[in-house]
Amino acid sequence: MARFLLKRVALSLITLWLLSVIVFTAGQVLPGNVGRAMLGPFADQRAVDALNHEMGTDRPLLVQYGDWISRFVQGDMGRSYAYRAPVAPFIANALANSAKLAAVAFLLVVPLSLAMGVLAALHAGRPVDRSIMVAGMSATIVPEFVSGIILILIFGVWLRWLPISATWPPGAGFFGQLYHLLLPAIPLVLILFGYIARMARAGTLEALDADYTRTAVLKGLPQSTVLWRHVLRNALLPTVSVIATQTAYLIGGLVVIETLFRYQGIGSLIFLAANKKDFPMLEAGVLAVGCVFAVASLLADLIYSWLNPRIRFGATE
Amino acid sequence: MKPSHALIELFRSTHGEVHNQLIDSLLAGRLNRREFMRHGSCLGLSLTTLGTIAGSVGLIAGPRSARAAGTGGTIRVAQNAPASAIDPVKIADGPGLAILSYVGDFLCFDRNDLTLEPMLAESWSPNKDGTVWTFKLRQGVKFHNGKPLTADDVVASIDRLADPANGSNALSAFTGYLSKGGTRKVDDHTVAFHLDAANGSFPYLVSSDNYNAIILPADYAGNFEQSMIATGPFKLEKYTPQVGASFVRNTDYWGGQVVPERVEATFFADIQPQILALQGGQADVILQAPVLQSVAVLNDPNFEVISLPSTAHQQLHMRNDMEPFKDARVRRAVALTLDRPKLVQGLMKGRAKIGNDSPFAAVYPMTDKSVPQRERNIAEAKELMAAAGMANGFETTLTTERFLEIPDYAVLVQNAVKEIGGKINLNVLDQGAYYGDAVYGKSPWLDSVMGITDYGHRGVPNVFLSAPLRSDGTWNGAHFKNKDYDQLVTSYIASLDIEAQRATAGKIQRLLLEETPVIFSYFYDYLTVVKKGMSGVVTTAMGQLLLAKATIG
Repeated sequence: MARFLLKRVALSLITLWLLSVIVFTAGQVLPGNVGRAMLGPFADQRAVDALNHEMGTDRPLLVQYGDWISRFVQGDMGRSYAYRAPVAPFIANALANSAKLAAVAFLLVVPLSLAMGVLAALHAGRPVDRSIMVAGMSATIVPEFVSGIILILIFGVWLRWLPISATWPPGAGFFGQLYHLLLPAIPLVLILFGYIARMARAGTLEALDADYTRTAVLKGLPQSTVLWRHVLRNALLPTVSVIATQTAYLIGGLVVIETLFRYQGIGSLIFLAANKKDFPMLEAGVLAVGCVFAVASLLADLIYSWLNPRIRFGATE
Repeated sequence: MKPSHALIELFRSTHGEVHNQLIDSLLAGRLNRREFMRHGSCLGLSLTTLGTIAGSVGLIAGPRSARAAGTGGTIRVAQNAPASAIDPVKIADGPGLAILSYVGDFLCFDRNDLTLEPMLAESWSPNKDGTVWTFKLRQGVKFHNGKPLTADDVVASIDRLADPANGSNALSAFTGYLSKGGTRKVDDHTVAFHLDAANGSFPYLVSSDNYNAIILPADYAGNFEQSMIATGPFKLEKYTPQVGASFVRNTDYWGGQVVPERVEATFFADIQPQILALQGGQADVILQAPVLQSVAVLNDPNFEVISLPSTAHQQLHMRNDMEPFKDARVRRAVALTLDRPKLVQGLMKGRAKIGNDSPFAAVYPMTDKSVPQRERNIAEAKELMAAAGMANGFETTLTTERFLEIPDYAVLVQNAVKEIGGKINLNVLDQGAYYGDAVYGKSPWLDSVMGITDYGHRGVPNVFLSAPLRSDGTWNGAHFKNKDYDQLVTSYIASLDIEAQRATAGKIQRLLLEETPVIFSYFYDYLTVVKKGMSGVVTTAMGQLLLAKATIG
């Protein structure tokens, strides 16, 4: 098990390093330079040159990259070109914000879609199943900026039940933050619901059909025990991997939701950094999301092996 | 009303030649009230003096909007997030310069009617040839940290901007006119600007028109976001990058009682959520509302739109040195296909003014209005095409940026040109890609055969006349090189006398109509949306927002 973990961590580190090289190179391919991006097209060339010199962005690329990575491995993420301040607090704050929003969305969508997926499987082919699946599919295909605006108009502008901005006022407690995060979480729930419910339904159907379930039923176990101990455990397997792959999306891919609900998550931070050629911020942001993704898939593997004895025993043999 | 001779004679005897020429023009009926006020203010005469003289010759001001009543309250502003750290020296974006306008003041303020109003300078005047401008500073002004404002602060602030080593965005305004060391202290409350070349509109370069030019303490050493020490109506309470900022009333403000207790600026990444915040009652003001994206609130009776005619515009350039636009007749033909009134109504929902293919927008007082307006004329356009040997039309690519209404405008141009056999392929790029490195050879903006570029508002047309159109201009996408034009612009900028300016403007306008290196089809309005009942909100087409006298209603 330790070897398995070690191997996974080493692979993740190599992936992250490659990611940093790709982001750096891609950033250089884009036209324009940092000073120009900061001061705009109409700034005097002397001003642009002076700014590039001040930030060190007039040095050869390899020198810039070497300088950056040698600091980075020592734990110094560098200073943002745009905000002229250390990158770390921005990343930490944005990552925490993204995690909170993702957590609220997960807390809403996972129990709901699992329950609905299992319910659909238990009534496979009947109207309950059909309506859950159609509703799920319909919700998934509505883009989040459409559902987001509709939700804001209904709950924020007309009814005024929920705040339009996901950014809570300073000093807001747990419930205050939750109150601000409810509205932006709903479009995410809508997007993910259909997907997770389908996986749960498929897993449940497969488990219901399996020999061990038939054996459990035949040996006279009560239906609830069969469901909880034999069916659900197996039905969850594909769902776990879906959730793990969606974590990266929920943490790093919510630029639209974050823009619409005025929320400082890591997705929009990366997007803005890329626009401004703010390389230290961009690198740190992408690597942060990369880390989240690596950790999420590692966790998913661990949970998967815990739920699935075949893998667990295979790994320890 | 008969002119009050005694008053005018008194004025004449106490003022110099430049000011006397202004009076001559007024008495001869060659200036209307607005033009007289504007040019007089640029020459450093107080608006009260100008108003008195104008009144004495029977030119009365229009009704002024009612002053706000009541004090207190918090004004919540929704605005785009500043693009980078708030640094008065380097700032280059609208949302950032709005923040500066909450906390800082300029030497003078460029009002909506393009007259200059004294701010930290009480008065100013040029020498005889417009190469030295002397500014008298207001006494009793204090910075937020309690220190009094002196000439040293002004010299340091302006010199900081003129020093190329500091990488200020103001360099593009100062280049050729004001260098480091040109700003000199005369006494504690007098500063003289020694220019590199004569400039009749110099005060605009140290006004709110040059948004970097807020006056900071002489010992300012960066890190503006920490304290934002300046002289403005509001003091910084808290600034959080990307999130927002709050400000409290400056009780020592030189401009009298500041009405709101607090200003809260909330930062957004896009206009759509700002509109929703206003509709949802979570904001009182949207700093800038682009026409196309804001239709929902522009016609909503719950909100009021402050609409300023500005000189912001989209330049449609055609490469003078490349086919198919080498021949001026082809360029004129393209310009003749556009139906400008329809563009203003359809594309801009009426929130724009028609342009006449030169930077001289109708709103500029020095614009020669006797130059005929270019109108759509397909027959003439076809004749010109035939005369240029292009009766069968041409094919070219129009490269432009994805910004505001520009992509829609490009499609309208594409369709209009079809009528004279022109086939235009569109290449719409992201803004960053379009501007590229912003130098010749490395920028689709400056290298494309045909392109559309957005230009922000300027209180005087000098920058528009120089950078995109002069032979040595740094933004000359049209690659227009014309010696007569260059000379006209040099003499236009140097002239102190509005009549000379207007005469030269007329020549420039006619020359540009003939050559048509760039099509200026409209100048769009600057729109700010406020909650119904608010009053006293002052905006500028540059993007400044003055809330010192604002009430929520």
